[in-house]
Amino acid sequence: MAGLELRNIAKSYGAVSVIEGIDLSVEDGEFVALVGPSGCGKSTILRMVAGLEDISGGDIIIGDRVVNDLTPRERNIAMVFQSYALYPHMTVYKNMAFNLELSGKPKAEIDQRVRQAARMLELEPLLERKPSQLSGGQRQRVAMGRAVVRDPAVFLFDEPLSNLDAKLRVQMRSEIKALHKKVGVTSIYVTHDQVEAMTLSDRVVVLNHGVIQQEGSPMELYRRPANLFVAGFIGSPAMNFFEATIEGNSARTASGLSFAFNAAEAVSDGQQVTIGVRPEHFQAGSGPLSGEVTFVEPTGGQTFVTLDLSGQPTMVLVSSEEDIETGSRLSVTAPLERTYVFDGQSGRRISKN
Amino acid sequence: MTETTAPIDAATAGGGRSERLPTKVYLYISLTILTAIIIIPLLSTALGGFKTLGELRGNPFGLPANWQWSNYGDILFSQRYWLQMGNSLLIAALTVFLTLSLSAMTAFTFAHVKFFGSGFLLNYFLIGLMFPAATAILPLFIRIRDLGLLDTYWGVVLPQVAFGLGMSVLLFRNFFRNLPSELFDAAFVDGAGYLRFFWSITLPLSRPIIATVGIISFVGSWNSYILPLIMLNSESKYPWPLGIMVYRGEFSTDWQLILAFITLTILPTVIVFFAAQKHIIAGLTAGAVK
Amino acid sequence: MSQTSSLAAAPPLATRAPAVARRSKRHVRGTLPVLVLFLPPALLLFTVFVILPMGEAAWYSFYNWNGYGLPTQWVGTKNYELIFNNGAFRQALINNGLIILVSIVIQIPLALWIATMVTHRIKGAVMFRLLFFLPYVLADVAAGMIWRFVYDGQFGLVGGLFTSLGMEAPFWLADRQVAFYAVLGVIVWKYFGFHMMLFVAGLQSIDKSVLEAADIDGATGWQKFYRVTLPMLGSTVRLSVFFAVIGSLQLFDMIMPLTGGGPSNSTQTLVTFLYSFGVMRMQVGFGSAVGVVLFVICVVLAFSYKRIFMKND
Repeated sequence: MAGLELRNIAKSYGAVSVIEGIDLSVEDGEFVALVGPSGCGKSTILRMVAGLEDISGGDIIIGDRVVNDLTPRERNIAMVFQSYALYPHMTVYKNMAFNLELSGKPKAEIDQRVRQAARMLELEPLLERKPSQLSGGQRQRVAMGRAVVRDPAVFLFDEPLSNLDAKLRVQMRSEIKALHKKVGVTSIYVTHDQVEAMTLSDRVVVLNHGVIQQEGSPMELYRRPANLFVAGFIGSPAMNFFEATIEGNSARTASGLSFAFNAAEAVSDGQQVTIGVRPEHFQAGSGPLSGEVTFVEPTGGQTFVTLDLSGQPTMVLVSSEEDIETGSRLSVTAPLERTYVFDGQSGRRISKN
Repeated sequence: MTETTAPIDAATAGGGRSERLPTKVYLYISLTILTAIIIIPLLSTALGGFKTLGELRGNPFGLPANWQWSNYGDILFSQRYWLQMGNSLLIAALTVFLTLSLSAMTAFTFAHVKFFGSGFLLNYFLIGLMFPAATAILPLFIRIRDLGLLDTYWGVVLPQVAFGLGMSVLLFRNFFRNLPSELFDAAFVDGAGYLRFFWSITLPLSRPIIATVGIISFVGSWNSYILPLIMLNSESKYPWPLGIMVYRGEFSTDWQLILAFITLTILPTVIVFFAAQKHIIAGLTAGAVK
Repeated sequence: MSQTSSLAAAPPLATRAPAVARRSKRHVRGTLPVLVLFLPPALLLFTVFVILPMGEAAWYSFYNWNGYGLPTQWVGTKNYELIFNNGAFRQALINNGLIILVSIVIQIPLALWIATMVTHRIKGAVMFRLLFFLPYVLADVAAGMIWRFVYDGQFGLVGGLFTSLGMEAPFWLADRQVAFYAVLGVIVWKYFGFHMMLFVAGLQSIDKSVLEAADIDGATGWQKFYRVTLPMLGSTVRLSVFFAVIGSLQLFDMIMPLTGGGPSNSTQTLVTFLYSFGVMRMQVGFGSAVGVVLFVICVVLAFSYKRIFMKND
């Protein structure tokens, strides 16, 4: 187990630079998620840490060693792939034992470690089966078992749950979390699903176009998004955005909606901004903002209501105790502390939340 | 580092791993040597046609000192070359056409029509895959003779098609089975019967497999030797594989002429191969995989 | 069974069961015309030119016949005895066996090695693949004749090579001890490209992340190859061997221009033997018997190979 540090990491393919100067520090035992949309570079960073991609610039430090020029094996890392990447011709047992065999460990030790990992992941009854005889969830567990057995310095997860159906995904999520609690190895988890990132990690790093947008605890990112991108990416359903102009303490949209907010820095009248309010933060029932209900989507505990605020479709979360009907009028308030304002040009948050 | 010492590292480069230099050097050297082994016989054959016999004796490898265009020229202006090429083309075209039509129709029946004994019949055709034409060549000769087809193009085409049916029916049938069944449901709802269906839907969608089977049949026919050898007597009907053997028989040690002739006969093959490589390779290996 | 009822009682659309994933064979109007039109031509052709001749071969093999009129001279199993007592046939059998052996032991590993080389990401990999496949596309006859030239001691490349080194030029194809090995060389030259392509396809179908997992597990290049890649290529290897075996039993076109079966029958194969002793001499009975023997060998090999080795492919 060791900490991980990325210093000024860069990656380019020929003349095209995809990642420029990323710095990241991961503590020993920490679980960090790299999130972002497709193509943001998160997988590339993971693969560079693994040693599967060349580094165009910067250093990768695992523990206290610079590992830039080391092979994956020498870096003492383990990886769980999106497609599981199990050896199809080997049994579950052999799949897990393979890396130990390659490092020349004695048979007795290999057997003990494989069985221990199998026990931890409830794979014992499956040890003699081949991957083709396993379900998706079982295969993923074998992939994790293969990683666990190595006792590595760092765990790398490359979108491991993407190939599973929704229900299985939720179940595997908690298994991964439980595993991390038990084993406590430094982990980097790449995913495009922000819910996964939020539920699993100690710290979330949001990436877009090869640049870190923000890093912090899940709640930190939720409550205080650093910019428009993070605000829109984190949280489901997504935050509502309104184009507006500053007027004193408020921002007013072209359609006449007015949002009051606390400014964190000096702002000037006429400045172009984007207002953001989360669906779950709108207080429904009364307020200065009102419109016609266009959609009502009940999901059991909560109901997603789409409101037409002066031409802008806005999503509001209401408890299902309320009976809202399509076509009716609904008034809502945007609480002061929960109104986010982002600079129109840079996307940076300028409100105090 | 492990990469430099291990020469065999197939399909390893995932993502941005570039090949290490020693690996590259080793690869290029080995591949060049192999290329030489492949190319030298072919090149020497082609160049040999430009030499005189005497020069060939002394200098089989290198470029001709004096380029003898007449060797090639005489052949190109001779009737026999074009006649033989034409014969090969005709025979191959007939073979391909017949093979495609018959196997498509037959495979269609197996793929879509449920009838008693369809499983058995399919295996019946697959028997043809098990043994080569050579095994039954004598009775085949007798049969062709008795049918009056000896020394005719059909005497070559029909057996070729027949022996090719095993593979082609199999390929077509597998292809048809993999077409989405909803298409057929939709057509039947629209009121189409089998024949209409075959013509308007199945065939247009079958271009890839038609190409594959077409290529396999064509190449097989174009290169075939033993069948025309036994079935044809008149030199005027000889396809080029018989032609080059006859030519060699005639000019026995005039290698410069023989080499020119060989080169000219394989030239179309080489040209077409490089022009349509992807299709040809895909076609010829698809037959293997299925 | 289904045939008689289908035309009368096509189920109403509303109650038709949902289309199953497998090809559903519909009971639709027009079944009969299709069967009548589509099936018989191929069936006829195939039966007349493939099945019947094979059956007739078995029949003729019990006769001594020159092909004219009708076979009248019954000889029982004499032809078969003649075959197995024939030195040239025995040599042909040995030769075919050797060809199969060489294919398995030399040609296929060679093709695999080359396939691994041309699947590296280097410039020109595709060009190399094409070049290596080229011999396979050429006619066997042409290849045979080209190499007849190459091996020629007087005018050929081998001759030229030896003379330029100051040594006496050999005539390998005329040398009973060496001729067959020279032929083996041509066979490898001609066919390795085909097997290489099969392996290329196999290698490309391997999920890259499995190899990356092996990297991470610490496998060196060699270990990756032997313990991950090669096992995953199992079905391709088996397929390759199958084709090598089937192909080598049919060798004829290449042998004729090269050696014609000589010298002294040292390069005979089963088919060249059939041709030289059966066809050329118009010994229909004898030739048919050879054909039957060849047929039996082919079928037995194909069957048992598929059952033993390719059960799960």
